[in-house]
Amino acid sequence: MSPEVVVQQALNGISFGALLFILAAGLSLIFGMMDVVNLAHGGFYMLGAYVALTVVQRTGQFWLALVIAPLVVGALGLLIEPLLLRRLRGRHLDQVLLTIGVSLVIGDLIGLVAGREIHSIPFPAGLDRSIAIMGGDYPLYRIFVIGFGVLLAAVFALVHRRSQAGALIRAGVDDAAMLSALGVDIDRLFAITFGVGAALAAIAGVIAAPVFGVFPGMDVDALIYSLIVVVVGGLGTLSGAIAGGALVGTADTFGKVLFPQFALALIFAIVAFVLLLRPTGLLGRVRIAR
Amino acid sequence: MKRPAAIAALSILGAAALVTFPLWSSGWESSRYATTILRDMLVLAILALSLDLLVGSAGLPSLGHAAFFGAGAYAAAIAAQRLGSDDLLLGFAAAIVVSALLALVIGLFAVRAAGIFFLMLTLAFAQMVFALAFQAVDLTGGSNGLANVHRPMLFGLDFNGPEALFELVASVFVLVLLLLWRVRASTYGRALVGLRENERRMRALGYDTTRLKLSAFVLAGALAGVGGALSGWSLRFVSTNDVGIGRSIEAFVSVLIGGTGSLVGPAVGAVVVLFVERVLPSSIPFAETVLGVLFIVFVAAARQGIVGLARAAYARVRAP
Repeated sequence: MSPEVVVQQALNGISFGALLFILAAGLSLIFGMMDVVNLAHGGFYMLGAYVALTVVQRTGQFWLALVIAPLVVGALGLLIEPLLLRRLRGRHLDQVLLTIGVSLVIGDLIGLVAGREIHSIPFPAGLDRSIAIMGGDYPLYRIFVIGFGVLLAAVFALVHRRSQAGALIRAGVDDAAMLSALGVDIDRLFAITFGVGAALAAIAGVIAAPVFGVFPGMDVDALIYSLIVVVVGGLGTLSGAIAGGALVGTADTFGKVLFPQFALALIFAIVAFVLLLRPTGLLGRVRIAR
Repeated sequence: MKRPAAIAALSILGAAALVTFPLWSSGWESSRYATTILRDMLVLAILALSLDLLVGSAGLPSLGHAAFFGAGAYAAAIAAQRLGSDDLLLGFAAAIVVSALLALVIGLFAVRAAGIFFLMLTLAFAQMVFALAFQAVDLTGGSNGLANVHRPMLFGLDFNGPEALFELVASVFVLVLLLLWRVRASTYGRALVGLRENERRMRALGYDTTRLKLSAFVLAGALAGVGGALSGWSLRFVSTNDVGIGRSIEAFVSVLIGGTGSLVGPAVGAVVVLFVERVLPSSIPFAETVLGVLFIVFVAAARQGIVGLARAAYARVRAP
């Protein structure tokens, strides 16, 4: 590979990694707080993309879609937690299973309403061109995705460390039962967590839509990738989502260029290797929920 | 008659009635259709029964069980194609060996984890198998799948006709049920339940729990592979759908709706699932949603499943 290609692919990898981080952050947040792996995460991602598709088709406004989609999907998450998950609190595995049902319903209803065709969303105005990097043309939108991911990570880190909400999150991740005993309204906290996690999935769906398209089955792809990211990076930590996203994004991109037939085997090898050395992921918490 | 003897007699009668279904239903107008649907229900039931060995007995919630089903389906079809033989035993042998080996490899990693982590790992690994099947076009036909899968023969017995094939599927189903019944009653089966109830204590008792889990994973994988081989012969077609997450979820939903850890529960669940998926869509367009809602209701409100509910109702009726 020539140096230009290496730089381009590295950028592709980081860009994909940034997207994976956005996607996995919500999954990781929900798990960290509630010990629930939300298997409807891919469904929320897909719903976000379809809401964005509708908004863009009606108004042509990508940025409006980036605001509306997480609001809609976040509201849905805010409803699902008290309506369905709250009844099963303490039965973590059953909560996980329940989210499978939710994802089935979301996937089927989207197909029923929006049809089974493949759609695409155009790049937002201003980001639809390429810029020169190392003598080659590189799509600006992918640079934007990297910037957006970094920005989101910075905001998260700030909220996490400095704000009262961050303190609640850290306390909740550490010991939700104790937090509840201290007088914090844990029901509200869990509902909001689930809503924010869902909204994050929707944001990832909107961001990904111009690159990967909007189609039935995108929920499964997203779910699998986000699971791999959190398994590799470690569940329930922000740094885990970042590390996992960066590693899986780059490995996947270079794998597909270098040996297209075995790109998946490479990811498989990474997952296996990480699990052998550190069963909780690279930066995961030690505790594993049963 | 004493109760166990009555149950045994009824079971044998039921099995015989099931296997001979195409014969005594031949007068019906929709016998062909019913035979086809029932055949596919039994294939899914075999997959669900094998999964329940993990979910119900050992407490290992695998969400990637279709990997072994698909591996069996591909193995049987490819072996027949490459070796130019339609031998039934060859097909089953190929399916069992390949799916068991795959289960061994995946299991080595997956059984190190427990609970939710196990579920995520099996799902992720199965998706890898799906992707490999999708990419290995020379072997699996990629997205086109393998069409024109030959139906098998055994000692000159031809299973090409719909009735003969049904009898084959139903017989294997009965054998799998019998095997799992024996397994559950054995010390090995009890040890698996011990694993579910209290793994630490099992370790303290001297059991090598990782090995125990791995053996269950391989056994369940091999049985799923048998189901896969039957699926390929039934549909004369093997595709990436057979290894996909959709099939894994179908099996898991069957197990949970029917009832985990009850011998026939998963089979009952498989009947319900395929009824919703195959019979219902002719009247309503959102069958999958129905399935999803049904699943949510059972997980949230009736975790014991249909068989569990029926048992509770029966106990209430019997109690004065």
